[in-house]
Amino acid sequence: MSATATASIASPKRPPVLRLGGWLSLPVRARSLVLGGILVVAILATGLATLTLGKLGIAPSNLLPTLLGQGEGRDEIVLTAFRGPRLVVGIAAGAALAVSGALFQTVTRNPLGSPDVIGLTSGASAGAAAFGLMWPGILPLPVGALVGAFVAMALVYVGTGTGFSSPSRMLLIGIGVSAMSLAFVQWVLVRAGREQATVLATYLNGSLAARDWDHAATIWTAIVVLIPSALLLSRRLQLVEMGDEQADALGARSTSARALSILVAIGLATAAVSVAGPVSFIALVAPQIARRLSRSAGPNILASALMGAFLLSLADLLTQQLPFDVTLPVGVLTAILGGIYLGYLLIAQWRKGTI
Amino acid sequence: MTATVAPTSAGISPGARRRTPRLAVGLIVTAGALVVLVGLSLAVGTKYVPLPDVWNALFAPGDTYADAVVASRIPRTILGLLVGAALAVAGGVMQGLTRNPLADPGLFGVNTGAAAAIVTATALGVGAGTSVWIALPGAFIAVVIVYLIGSGRGRSTPVRLVLAGVVVSSVLAAYIQAVSLTLPRVFDAYRFWAVGSLAGRNPQLIVDILPFVILGLVLALSLCGSLNALALGDDTARALGAHVGRTRILGAIATTLLCAAATAAVGPISFVGLAVPHIVRSITGADHRWLLPYCVVAGPALLIAADIIGRVIVSPAELMVGVITAFVGGPILLLAVRRMRAAA
Repeated sequence: MSATATASIASPKRPPVLRLGGWLSLPVRARSLVLGGILVVAILATGLATLTLGKLGIAPSNLLPTLLGQGEGRDEIVLTAFRGPRLVVGIAAGAALAVSGALFQTVTRNPLGSPDVIGLTSGASAGAAAFGLMWPGILPLPVGALVGAFVAMALVYVGTGTGFSSPSRMLLIGIGVSAMSLAFVQWVLVRAGREQATVLATYLNGSLAARDWDHAATIWTAIVVLIPSALLLSRRLQLVEMGDEQADALGARSTSARALSILVAIGLATAAVSVAGPVSFIALVAPQIARRLSRSAGPNILASALMGAFLLSLADLLTQQLPFDVTLPVGVLTAILGGIYLGYLLIAQWRKGTI
Repeated sequence: MTATVAPTSAGISPGARRRTPRLAVGLIVTAGALVVLVGLSLAVGTKYVPLPDVWNALFAPGDTYADAVVASRIPRTILGLLVGAALAVAGGVMQGLTRNPLADPGLFGVNTGAAAAIVTATALGVGAGTSVWIALPGAFIAVVIVYLIGSGRGRSTPVRLVLAGVVVSSVLAAYIQAVSLTLPRVFDAYRFWAVGSLAGRNPQLIVDILPFVILGLVLALSLCGSLNALALGDDTARALGAHVGRTRILGAIATTLLCAAATAAVGPISFVGLAVPHIVRSITGADHRWLLPYCVVAGPALLIAADIIGRVIVSPAELMVGVITAFVGGPILLLAVRRMRAAA
């Protein structure tokens, strides 16, 4: 009995490793590859549905010519002005939020330490509101959102008194920080005299309605720069998960790995918030599902990114096609579903006695 | 020797008796501050009415413009009084019952539960407007769900209950958003109410919620002694002759009544129930026989002050009072969490 157990430990299956020179080595696991493939297909299918379904949808037979730039006028407008940017922004924002969540959850060693739970996304939206509506022109909106996110995280870090180490304190302080940020956003909105439901809904719930290619450029720039950085950090973070002493002994330099990861995570979440508003719970849920499906340790950056992109574009497709008079902001849908998941997660955590 | 030390009535130590005059004076001063704030609430706004004119408008009303302005501010001021007292006392009782420094009807999802019930009823076309009778079951169900999630298997810690409350209220808040954004009829009615606002409420509401608030306050104040005993732990409380189970049930009834009435009138307002007992406790200490009466006076003072600030800072527009209380309450939550030592 014990002999078989030792045998299986002694000969672990070592996955093949992808190496780029001396500075990047990522293990390639068959399960992750299959999962990634399925998710890519799922994202493509969602994208196809987003472009073709509904009153404004492009007829499937016209889709290919339109994508190649040879479509009719109406299809062309739908693709370039309505559905296209929305889809592209949605995919990228979902991926950014999910990677941000994956990094935060790994650094805090707790699934509840997500940017949307600890007040980062609300802080970013407060920054966006301040520099977008109250003092327009001083800073570009994404930079303003970044300032807000940093202020919120500094408040959480100082407020807990124990840094980012106690998840339950982070959550409680995060509740206070989000409440204050959202109150600030409401103040700015009322002051700016913009009480239109749409503006409010975007800033408070997160929405992908009426996105344009500028938004797409912002979020994709962030993704292209920051997700590779996250990948570079992921091996060190995987070691940090074992505890600081072991990680340091193995050369992971846990403190700097953690600080860099938090910077990258704040950048990604902020970019997503500045184009889509504080869409809640994607950052919490996507890395969790990805982790469970890929069954591997560490932050699972790529799987999380794909899962986030899929979840957000799917949620947005649902909000577009649900039979209501008015399209809901996508954040309302993710808040309902993600909130239920958060409840499940909490119960599971205190069964284990983590909180 | 023993005769001099032995307390004459339940639990009053000589030290406490020495504090009594000081606390009584403090209560009178707080009440005085509340009267001033009520006066300001009638005077301040888009159209400022000088205080002497407010006095005239109240006691020798004519038909001048100033009189009309003051009259229009009376309902929101009275609502502020009732709702502030209700929420603050509900928070104080909750903190005592659960021995939880983070208890707040808003954080525990009670107010959002009541709000969700009202929005549902309006969407379905049941019941007329914001009735307390519709809010009550919503508030009650939310309390039960939060306690079930928060205390399922094992001891319910302060942190668990708050987190459970956050889950329940975030799901319900998203539900309220979904319903009100899809049904324009509901949206128009609840756009401001859903954030918590004293402005533009029907004066009839005051009459509607008055019996609930009075009943809840009387019930809560009658529990002061038992809450003091409960603070020592269930076993000690029982040994001292307190009815632990009965106190819990009566306290839950009182808080549900108070929260449902307050939410039905002005929408879900968070943090008043958290902040006021914390501020008051720094003056009175943990004795509920002083804590709750102070809450009755200080709750309305905070809410009316927040309402006045909301009218001034974005003049000529108005900021909903729930926004101001969130901004005041957030830092107090920070302080409360930092004070919790081993609990987290």
